[in-house]
Amino acid sequence: MRSKVLHAPPDLDLFASDRRDIDASLSRRINADPENLERGLAQLVLTIIELLRQLMERQALRRIDGGTLSEEQIERLGSTFMELDRRMEELRTQFGLTEEDLNLRLGPLGNLL
Amino acid sequence: MIELYAVTDAPGPPLPGRAVARVLPSGRLAVVYAPAVDVEASADALWRHEELVEALMEQTDLLPFRYGTRCEDEDAAERQVEEREAELSAALERIRGAVELSVRVRLAEVPAAPRSGGDSAGDYVAAKARAAGFERAVSDGVHEPLRLLARTSRQRAADSPSEPLRAAYLVDRNRIEKFALEVARLQESRPDLRLLCTGPWPPYSFIDA
Repeated sequence: MRSKVLHAPPDLDLFASDRRDIDASLSRRINADPENLERGLAQLVLTIIELLRQLMERQALRRIDGGTLSEEQIERLGSTFMELDRRMEELRTQFGLTEEDLNLRLGPLGNLL
Repeated sequence: MIELYAVTDAPGPPLPGRAVARVLPSGRLAVVYAPAVDVEASADALWRHEELVEALMEQTDLLPFRYGTRCEDEDAAERQVEEREAELSAALERIRGAVELSVRVRLAEVPAAPRSGGDSAGDYVAAKARAAGFERAVSDGVHEPLRLLARTSRQRAADSPSEPLRAAYLVDRNRIEKFALEVARLQESRPDLRLLCTGPWPPYSFIDA
């Protein structure tokens, strides 16, 4: 096949980190594992919580950008998000999930998170 | 079972020599297909599929099927194309004379992600805001000038904070070189980023645009 690279930086390896993803996403679609049902369910629930957490965080950042919040309010929002971030990390650890596990590949739409 | 590769104008393109594929004309359109072979889905099988679609793409404009799209038999394929002829013809018109180019942008150095442990709440928010602002700056500085050279574009959700832009552009075949030169120019102006431009690809991202 002809080279498909029209422009590449010298350190192309930077982009190679997701090469394993093709195999991974193919096998993830095909090998549903009934024995791992509980973990799979936890993964799904945590994915949805993480999506909501990130949406809330983005919304808060927009409000901060808008300049309508006081220092105190920003500080309070920041503490809340830090706390949520910490709790998510704990839950992930408990179920043996990584940050990447809480992402869904949505085909042409890209990734969920 | 048959495996579908692409929809083209009737009567269909000449097929590459060794290919087992066949062409099925249907009204104004044609479907390129091959008998389905049961092999395990793998990166290799996906590339074999892609190679055929790309060989066809060099000869003609086409709407590629996603890897793994199957149909009962020729009659069923023909029925489906007949039912959607207007829609498919319109989609084919939209991509006529153009191909898909992909651009990915990564940071030369990966910044430390804001963490919940240690930093103050103010620092945490500031770091998050910086990351969001940076993403917007990349979109304005890289995506915008490229978008102007394309017929249309699709921005995809970034894979990670170190990849602020991942986009597909529908580019006229005779503008591919110009587009690649623009990517090179943008790369020179942004040493903090790494730009990768690949293609030409079948217009996977634009068949329902």
